[in-house]
Formats: sequence, structure tokens, C-alpha cells
Amino acid sequence: MSGAGYEILTLDEVETAEHRGSNLIPVRYTLGFRPAGVNAWIADAGGQLIPPHEEDSGNEELYVVVRGRASFVVGDETQDAPAGTLIFVPPLLHRTATAEEDGTIVFVVGATIGEAFDGGGWDTFAVAYTAQRAGDMEACRQIMATEMERRPDSWALPYNLACLEALAGNSDEAFAMLARIPVGPELREYLEHDTDLDNLRDDPRFEELLK
Amino acid sequence: MNLTHIDELEGIELPDGFTWKPVRRHFGIKAFGVNVYTPGASGQIVEEHTEGQLGHEEIYLVLRGRVKFTVDGNEHELGQGQLVFVRDPSLKRAGVALTDDAAVLAVGGKPGEAFEVSAWETWFAAYPLQQAKRWDEAIALYTEALAERPDHPALFYNLACMEAQAGRADDALAHLQRAIELRPEFAESAATDEDFASVKDDPRFPH
Repeated sequence: MSGAGYEILTLDEVETAEHRGSNLIPVRYTLGFRPAGVNAWIADAGGQLIPPHEEDSGNEELYVVVRGRASFVVGDETQDAPAGTLIFVPPLLHRTATAEEDGTIVFVVGATIGEAFDGGGWDTFAVAYTAQRAGDMEACRQIMATEMERRPDSWALPYNLACLEALAGNSDEAFAMLARIPVGPELREYLEHDTDLDNLRDDPRFEELLK
Repeated sequence: MNLTHIDELEGIELPDGFTWKPVRRHFGIKAFGVNVYTPGASGQIVEEHTEGQLGHEEIYLVLRGRVKFTVDGNEHELGQGQLVFVRDPSLKRAGVALTDDAAVLAVGGKPGEAFEVSAWETWFAAYPLQQAKRWDEAIALYTEALAERPDHPALFYNLACMEAQAGRADDALAHLQRAIELRPEFAESAATDEDFASVKDDPRFPH
């Protein structure tokens, strides 16, 4: 239910997206919240909640256990975290969490000190990737196109969409996306090693890109 | 590990009857605004307010119990794991706890701008000190906040209020003058503000 200027959301009713072996509840993407990164993760007992990572982005992160119980590992410390637990993690500490009860939900807020938050990266991509995996290429393209309109200078967006097209076997669409990206050493590195693009490697157009 | 639980966080009960649990201050978070609220004696859990002045988008997530939110005149009863996202800063919003154990996480900020600590946090934090007439500690909180935001008119005004009540007339008058330079409307507020009773007759008091 919602009015024009506000929205109600029930976390466990949002369709999850797969991201690095965890189930993302894409809160920021769903709401279009702009001041900070806000997302949630859900898992059953024994399942991975937070993908193991550090915040190369420089984000400070606050993890809030909303429901159930989680086990957090931050740096070399492990802690039991029942519902209502708040955990603050500075950017460069390694962290991960596992659910200890079915239906455990962890809510996360993140942003970088002194910088205006600019979302729409990895979490939008996770939603698009999930649509592609479900065979809904149209939805996937739509999600990425909306984001590309908002961030026309990003090369990661057309690159990632090219990967999804390649994985879905759509060579023409994949090359059309790759053609949008200025070829530099960074792209060349990805083109040479990214297995997502393996379907394209025998195509003469791929050779052209590497020239 | 830097970890706490909502029940372990010390709360401050504010005049509107809700309890503020200062999560951001507890952890020293500087990248975003985040706090937890629990009901005070009145059952209020989110004070009735708008974000019009700050321009903040806000999310209120129910962590526990049940809460009746009123947003833009519409009522919504929400439970654990449900949230209301108020996109439009000008909308009036409030929350009343329907169960004693209710807890709400609030996250907010202004889109397109780096986060700055809101002046109201200092007002909230100083409130119990002010009630207990622990002026020196309240003054220290405002001085600390001004170190971060050196040109904030309301912080100067409130600092002057504390100093006047502490009997520090020179400081109070200097800081009130600074507040008025930054926001001339404060001259009118000061004229009727009981907090300045001790300095009202001083020739330096703005008339």
C-alpha cells in the first residue's frame, strides 16, 4: 500500500535476487531510496546471509538482525547475533554471516564518509542477473536500460549487460553492448579473462574488439 | 566486534514521550543517519514531524512488536520486518507503539549530499542534562557539535540558552549574537525565551 510520497514494504514479500551465494532482498532498488545503501538478506538455518567481503567501496556498514538469529564473523571474531543485534563494521574489515534459524533477516545500511551516496551498482545488477537466470531477458534488459539512462557514463553497466546477453546466447545484443564501451586496458583485461563471454570468443567480432 | 543489542543501548526519553536510542552516536557512524526508537510513557515511538527543513528521505523499519504509523493522514499498522519509506520530506509522519516491546529503526539522509550530523541529535542528547541542570555537560555537547558544524545557527542559539542558565553571561551573549548573525529570526525567539531570563537586562542583549 502506498500514497504518492510514501511506500510500505514487507521485507519477506520482496522477490529475492541471487548475489554471491546469498539471497538479497533488494530494498534500495525496490524503493528507489537515495541517501544511503539499504538492503536486506534472508536465509534459513545454515544458509549464508552476508556474502564474505570487505567494503572496497569505502562504505561504513551497519548490520541489523531483524528476525531470527545469525552468526557473524568480522575479522577473526565470531559472535552470536539474535534479533535486535546491531553490528557496525568499518570498510576494510572482512565480514560474513550465516543464519542460525529459518527465515533469518539482516538489514544493512551503508555509505562512505563525506561522499554523497550513489547507488545502483551491484544490487541493480543482482536483480538483472536474477531475471536473466529465470529466462526473462526482457525484464533484465529493462532493468539495465533504466540504470544506464541514469548513469550514461558508467562502462560497467553495458559491460555487465553484455555478459548477461552472452550467457543467454544473444551474441548480436552482447556485441552491441560491448561496442558502447571505450576500449582501454581495463576492458581488454576483462575481455581476455571473463568466462561470462566464452560464448563470444569464436566470433570474428570478438577478435575485432581485441585489436 | 563492535556489536550491541537494542535492549542494551541506553535510551533517552524525550518530552514527546518517545525514547531515542542513539545508534549513530553509539558507534560513531559518520556516513549516514541511523537511530532506534522505543515507546516512552505515552506510547509514542516516532514523534509527529516532517523532514521539510532537512529535506531527508526516511525509512522506518519495525524491528520488534507492532506500530501504528500515520503518514500523510493515512494509518498503517506494521509488524516486525515491515517498513514505511517516506520519500516526500514534507509529509507529516508519526508512530504509536501498539505493543510495549516495539522498536523502530530509522534511516535517513538528503539525496545527493554527503551525510552531516543533524543538529537535533545534540538537542536530544543534551535534553536529560538540561533537565538535571547539568549545564557544563550540556555546554560541552554543544561545543563538540559546533566543532563539526561551525556555522550552525540553532547550535549557537541552544548553546547560548545553556550558558545563560549556567550564569555565563558573556558567553551566552556572544553566542546568541552569533546565532542571530547566522539566522536573524533568532532575535525574536530570544526576546520571549525564558532561558535568557538571567541576561535579559544586560545592555548587550538584542532588542
